[in-house]
Amino acid sequence: MFVVTIWMASTIVFFLPRLSGQNPLAEKIYQEAQQGGYQDPDVAERVRVFEEKYGFDKPLWQQYVKFVVEVVQFDLGRSIFQWPKSVNEILAEKIMWTLVMGLLTLVLAFLIGSAMGALLEWRRNNWGLMVAMAPILAISAVPFFIFGLVLQLIVFNIDREFPLVYGFKQGVVGWPDWSDWEFIVSVLKHAILPALSITLVSLGGWAMGMRGMMVTTKGEDYMVQAEAKGLPDRVMLTKYAIRNSLLPQVTGLTLALGLIVSGVVLVEIVFGYPGVGGQLLQAVRSNDYPTTQGIVFVLAFGTAAATLALDLMYPLFDPRIKSDGT
Amino acid sequence: MEQAQTSASVASMQWWRTLPDRSDFVRDRVVPIFRYLRRNRLMIIGLGAFAALGLFVGISYLFYSQVDLLGEEQGVNGLVRAASVQANQRPSWNPWSGFPLGTDVQGRDIYAAVVVGIPLSLRIGVIAAAIGVGVGMVLAFVAAYIGGVVDAVIRTIVDSLIPIPGLLVLVLVATSLNPGQGLTVDQLAFVIAVLAWPGPARVIRSQVLVIRERGYVEMARMSGTSALGIIFKEMMPNLAPYALASFVAATSGSILASIGVESLGLGPLDSPTLGSMIYWNIFTSSVLLGLWYWLLPPIIVLIVLFVGLFMISAGLDEVANPRLRRRV
Repeated sequence: MFVVTIWMASTIVFFLPRLSGQNPLAEKIYQEAQQGGYQDPDVAERVRVFEEKYGFDKPLWQQYVKFVVEVVQFDLGRSIFQWPKSVNEILAEKIMWTLVMGLLTLVLAFLIGSAMGALLEWRRNNWGLMVAMAPILAISAVPFFIFGLVLQLIVFNIDREFPLVYGFKQGVVGWPDWSDWEFIVSVLKHAILPALSITLVSLGGWAMGMRGMMVTTKGEDYMVQAEAKGLPDRVMLTKYAIRNSLLPQVTGLTLALGLIVSGVVLVEIVFGYPGVGGQLLQAVRSNDYPTTQGIVFVLAFGTAAATLALDLMYPLFDPRIKSDGT
Repeated sequence: MEQAQTSASVASMQWWRTLPDRSDFVRDRVVPIFRYLRRNRLMIIGLGAFAALGLFVGISYLFYSQVDLLGEEQGVNGLVRAASVQANQRPSWNPWSGFPLGTDVQGRDIYAAVVVGIPLSLRIGVIAAAIGVGVGMVLAFVAAYIGGVVDAVIRTIVDSLIPIPGLLVLVLVATSLNPGQGLTVDQLAFVIAVLAWPGPARVIRSQVLVIRERGYVEMARMSGTSALGIIFKEMMPNLAPYALASFVAATSGSILASIGVESLGLGPLDSPTLGSMIYWNIFTSSVLLGLWYWLLPPIIVLIVLFVGLFMISAGLDEVANPRLRRRV
């Protein structure tokens, strides 16, 4: 499954941009050539040389085979727009922002949401919890980045000084510098809003899923038995109810990954965050095939790999499933 | 004998006579639906939200009008043309000027833009979801019915497409289909339909597998009903709630996807969909300019839309899984 996903991702990524029938390489070179005001007589020759370098002169199937072979080795080629930077270099400086933001918010939302859902069902008539849940459920149907815009609007009208966009304070000489304490504080402060907008929105889904599972679990015979044994309430909740309700939630995690990645990309664009989102937008706008392909491929690869990892880890959460069975 | 035959053929020609009386029909079919709806609060709220949006759009289309720059009385469609109500590119909000929600950077009436945007965005969602659920359903039936290698292939494709982040592929499709000048509303709907089918296909396939083993399907098979007959007469009615639920979910997902694609500036920028309003807001960083009256209307409408769709699909889930009815 994993291999098929990767293959499909690389195929989609290879063929789609080529459907447009544009030649970004030639465009870029002509543009560069005109910048000096002096017309280089060898422009056509230069285009040819570069096309050879990128392999655009070969038949499509050869390009495709070459692309797939290279991509599997994580050789994503060189950017056209930011030549001579390689796509790997561009990704290297951006991907950590996206990765940390995505993972952090996913884990936070999963843990808090599941805990809320479990408590919601366990203490059924707790009005405080229900009142707290209502707005969270209402916003859970809204896209991340739209809620992000709302947050920006609210925060902007409360505190004009609070950072709304970018990943850290702009215009300071020497930044980004991870040994500088002030820089780290700035990064954290800038991360609050995007992280909040993703976490708050995804809380509701996890809470509802967990609550649904708790309803079923509460009706099981072993819960009756636990109660009959006189186990304390807390043990029943954590060791019996939550332990068993959490399994389908983990399955849900694998399905949510793709959505989270799409969501994070958009949130990054709204907040001008220095992750791959903004880079993707720029690459798309400038018809930079290799960079677009590289970003989409790496994100698809990451999602597929995370899905695979979760599938492989499933026996850890559910000892009934042995890795040799299904 | 002969007479009996003619009366039988007359009866078969006048098939509508076999339908229950109108009042019976209302009593047996329509009333229970409403009686059930009264208990299904989620569905009521969702449908109510939609009815409210529909009323808002309908009434505005009929009665709302403003005088444009040329001094002509214009309905909502006339007021969403760029620079129709304001020539200079400075947005303004002043309820006493006559424009209830102000005007935007393109010199349009924001109220009219929202009114026109709602049906456009819904249209994208509905078209994409209809294609997605249709294709998904066909694939699901093919997979579940033929089984074997075909099933394995379809299942593998569906399962391996699901982890690929949809928005990214849509971005690729949207840029490569029509670079530079953006897509039309319907083209965008088709682009989004490209990725709208794996989800429904997966849900419906598993349901087909369950329903196929039910007693009444077995019964129909033994009494010689053809495969198509079984699919349409026996299985479809029982699949309907699931299909409807996944249609609503797909609509919501497609609108979400369309807003995402449009917010990147890859959609129909000249049609006033809700997504392109958001794009212009991001593009001009309206939050920092203090133009909240331009950003809020589309966001509020989208929130009502998404919450409404979510509640309808949750309500439909309850119809489809009667087990949820008693417990929750």
